[in-house]
Amino acid sequence: MRGSGDKRLRTGAAALLLTALAVAASGCGDLSNDELNRGVESLSALAAQGQLVASGVARDATKSTYARVMAKTLGGEAEHEAEKLADATPEEGIADQRDAAVAVAGEIAGLLSELQTYPGDERHGALVQKHLEEAQEKADAIVARLSGDA
Amino acid sequence: MKTILKIALGIIAAIGGFLDIGDLVFTTQAGALFRYDLLWAVVLGVVGIAIYAEMTGRVAAVSGRPVFDVIRMRLGFGLGLGALIASTIVNLLTVAAELGGIAIVLELLFDAPYDMFVVTAAIALVVIVALLPFGGIERVFGYGGLLMLVVIATVVHQGPEWGDVARGFVPSLSSSTLYLYFVVGVFSAALMPYEAHFYSSGAIEEGWTEKNLKENRLNAFIGYALGGLLSIGLVIASGFLFHPLGVEPSDLGTVALPMQGAFGETGLLLALGGMLFCVSGAAIDSSFAASYNVAQFLGWEWGRYKGPRKAPRFTASWLVFVLLGVAIAQSGINPVEITEYSVVLAVVALPLTYLPVLLIAGDRSFMGEFANGRLATFFGWLYFAVIVVLALAAIPLLLATNGGGG
Repeated sequence: MRGSGDKRLRTGAAALLLTALAVAASGCGDLSNDELNRGVESLSALAAQGQLVASGVARDATKSTYARVMAKTLGGEAEHEAEKLADATPEEGIADQRDAAVAVAGEIAGLLSELQTYPGDERHGALVQKHLEEAQEKADAIVARLSGDA
Repeated sequence: MKTILKIALGIIAAIGGFLDIGDLVFTTQAGALFRYDLLWAVVLGVVGIAIYAEMTGRVAAVSGRPVFDVIRMRLGFGLGLGALIASTIVNLLTVAAELGGIAIVLELLFDAPYDMFVVTAAIALVVIVALLPFGGIERVFGYGGLLMLVVIATVVHQGPEWGDVARGFVPSLSSSTLYLYFVVGVFSAALMPYEAHFYSSGAIEEGWTEKNLKENRLNAFIGYALGGLLSIGLVIASGFLFHPLGVEPSDLGTVALPMQGAFGETGLLLALGGMLFCVSGAAIDSSFAASYNVAQFLGWEWGRYKGPRKAPRFTASWLVFVLLGVAIAQSGINPVEITEYSVVLAVVALPLTYLPVLLIAGDRSFMGEFANGRLATFFGWLYFAVIVVLALAAIPLLLATNGGGG
């Protein structure tokens, strides 16, 4: 009795495993439109926050340790978002937007890394601020496309 | 004259000591996400803590019994133990969050590894507690926290549309789960159970008697009310700067950005300095609260004024809570996330903390002429109803919003 129960259990577990593998291999997207949208909105928010930090550097109105640590933290978050989006399988029809989002995330992370390197340089601060503004516009444009507003 | 000065100094310390990492995080996020719409929830929380702090202080001064004594007396061993476990978990998470908060602020000021600063912060707190008397600890961090008045100056400098700000004080509900989650968070951040535990035990540490009831009332109603202005200021400053830009603050350092925007490096340093005092004071309060609770529940000798020799188990438990806080803060979990969980989970422990206080403060056979009057009874029960509703909603909202992540 016990042996047949074990066999049934093993068969069930194997079936479950095979189903899971089949779903994973079929390429069914694990990144939905809404999830991508939320991810890109987070990128836009990070770019906005980065602009405020960069503005402090540009105006010589901050402490360089603060600017450096904030840039490092925000840059890390952008990088994490980029990795998360790049690793996910997008659902049908949003692959292009996903790729664009990964590119913007990389751009934001790169700009913040530059700010981290030059937290006391006003010229770099102003440039990073300007480029982060552009990156935020790109992120907002992706959000608009995903929401069907563009 | 000496008494008036003493009361005034107590009130000033209460103002400066009002904010903790929960207030800093939730009010800044609330402003960024909902502009001024949640100002009413801040007021609701501040009035709540003032009412219950006054009650806990009065019970302690009249009966000589702190909150956890009262909890065990009124709820019995079983429910009392439940309250002890719930509040110990929340207090421990709070200690970890505050230690993490200190480390983040130090990292922003000196750019050295976070983990190193967590340990440094814990050592510094142990040294401060060992060297300073109880009243001295309270005053140092309370006065230092006054640096956060830069938030009020920032709001004035920003010059928001005051009509819009005023509309934020009118209570409004929304079907958005994120909005409701922040109502719970902002309210709970003001009413964290450790504040009541610390306040009442502190009253006994300082030897309060019926003669101190006036001081208690002024501390609670004026000190906390004025301290609440700092929370209100944080919502407005954040709503003014972050909301239009779409910033979603996820780091403690972001809290200081409005002050940097208004006053440059000076504003930034005042804000970071104020935050450092606030979270350090709260780390001491919450770690003491955790060991007060355990000692009072188990009937140990307790009290900072007794020292390690007369209250060895109390002192040892305090050190254990600090060490556990260090371990959690160094576990790699973001202190802001620890804060969010501790604040929301605290709501669940709130009814078990405040119900016994409400019952005992209204009991004429126990409190005599100092029992709750009609007004205190009405507001006490009204707030208890609010607390119960929010306690029931807290966990579902935490799950529905993915911990406030939307």
